[in-house]
Amino acid sequence: MSRFRLIGEYAVAIAILVLVWFVYAIVFDVPSFILPLPSDVGRALIDMIPEQDVAMHFLVTSGEVLAGFVLGTILGYVIGYLVGKIKLLEEALMPYILLAQTAPKIALAPLFVIWFGLGFVSKLVLIISMVFFPVMLGAMFGLKSIDYNLKCLMQITGLSWWQKIVQVELPHSLPQIFAGLKVGMVQAVIAAIVAEWISGESGLGYLLIFNSTTYNSPMLFASIIYTIIMGILFYALISFLENRFLFWHESKQIVRKS
Amino acid sequence: MSTAIRIEDVNKIYKSSGGREVHALSHIHLDVRQSEFISIIGPSGCGKSTLLRILANLDQPSSGRIHWESSADHIGFVFQDATLLPWKTVYQNAKFPLEVKKLDTKENLAKLDKLLELAGLKGFEKAYPRELSGGMRQRVSIVRALSYNPDVLLMDEPFGALDALTRDKMGIELMRIWNETKKTILFVTHSIAEAVFLSDRVIVMSPRPGKIDEILNIDLPRPRTVDVKETPEFGSYVKKLREVLG
Repeated sequence: MSRFRLIGEYAVAIAILVLVWFVYAIVFDVPSFILPLPSDVGRALIDMIPEQDVAMHFLVTSGEVLAGFVLGTILGYVIGYLVGKIKLLEEALMPYILLAQTAPKIALAPLFVIWFGLGFVSKLVLIISMVFFPVMLGAMFGLKSIDYNLKCLMQITGLSWWQKIVQVELPHSLPQIFAGLKVGMVQAVIAAIVAEWISGESGLGYLLIFNSTTYNSPMLFASIIYTIIMGILFYALISFLENRFLFWHESKQIVRKS
Repeated sequence: MSTAIRIEDVNKIYKSSGGREVHALSHIHLDVRQSEFISIIGPSGCGKSTLLRILANLDQPSSGRIHWESSADHIGFVFQDATLLPWKTVYQNAKFPLEVKKLDTKENLAKLDKLLELAGLKGFEKAYPRELSGGMRQRVSIVRALSYNPDVLLMDEPFGALDALTRDKMGIELMRIWNETKKTILFVTHSIAEAVFLSDRVIVMSPRPGKIDEILNIDLPRPRTVDVKETPEFGSYVKKLREVLG
């Protein structure tokens, strides 16, 4: 019931946006290459599919994001776990980590092109660097926030290091990791698109640039909408996983009660 | 009755952060008998939790020895807070040690069911910890500590976080569980009445250095009910302990 209401609210919000856009473009007679009519954009959304092979570009970009996301998450957890476990490693690495965390990693994109070429790898590295830090910090703080008694319990019960991870440490860190993933997801999509601007011959970022340089505004708008759709799909994926794995967490209780 | 644990001249000296030496335990001698219920009572800093932690092998004594009649790792530990895993159900939490130790045989799981029933948790197996009251959560943690059938149960102020009414009820529950399972129990508490009500013997400790001041035998008939608290004998034990504790 509440889910349908939520979808309804979004539908109304989008309808209002489109209406305002429509009225504005007509009343002020805005040139089509600056602000195309919603109807033109709607047509472009469909025309693009065969004309510009949207499905392929969509898959390329989401493939990059997904691959970078998975690798960045695994790498982030492993390093975060080690840094959280080994005091020496934390002291040695933390200054670099904070430095790298605060640096705008988009600025590294041109460098990655020089290092890793114009292909898939440089994009992947950029996306990984975006996802890595929030996940790593989440894994580290999740590990460090384990209650003292819980640590004693693990020792008394005689858990192996692997059992500790699977049974206690990983699930305990999941709330922080998911918080990191949500930040990382937005960053990863941005990274993928920026990387395609620089080096792409395919992907939604490439379509944006292509339609911009050819002044094909309806299709540029449509490309933007496709990137938004991709962002929403990834957000939905993470929300789905979060609800699946964090059903027990405090943050989920308010939603469940309603 | 045979001895379960023999604690021989155990000392524990900590280095505080200021470099000063803290004598947490001083010359602790104690023979714990099989199936005995011992309470350890004393003000904060008297080393009673340190003693429990050493028995649980979470800490090492600076000197002295501990002889175990059974294997030393066969202990169960109950903390002040239930320390349950919030992503596991009551049943999964209770089963956790069995699963980790790969002892989750049909036979042991049947025993676990009995324990859950004994602790009044029947019908709550699929509930999550957040859905339970503090008292029920603590009962789950007691069942968890007993799940792999340890010889000795170490309890560090297990009812300290509960309200007075629940606390009394939990005492009676624990009596019943102890009666059925015949475990040796070492029970750290701040409550004199609780110690007298539950114990065969009450150990009184004093701080700096942490040492045993007095060992008091509680010769109240068992099984005990709440009514025992109204008897003059109960009152005199409480009075005696209050005097020792100053």
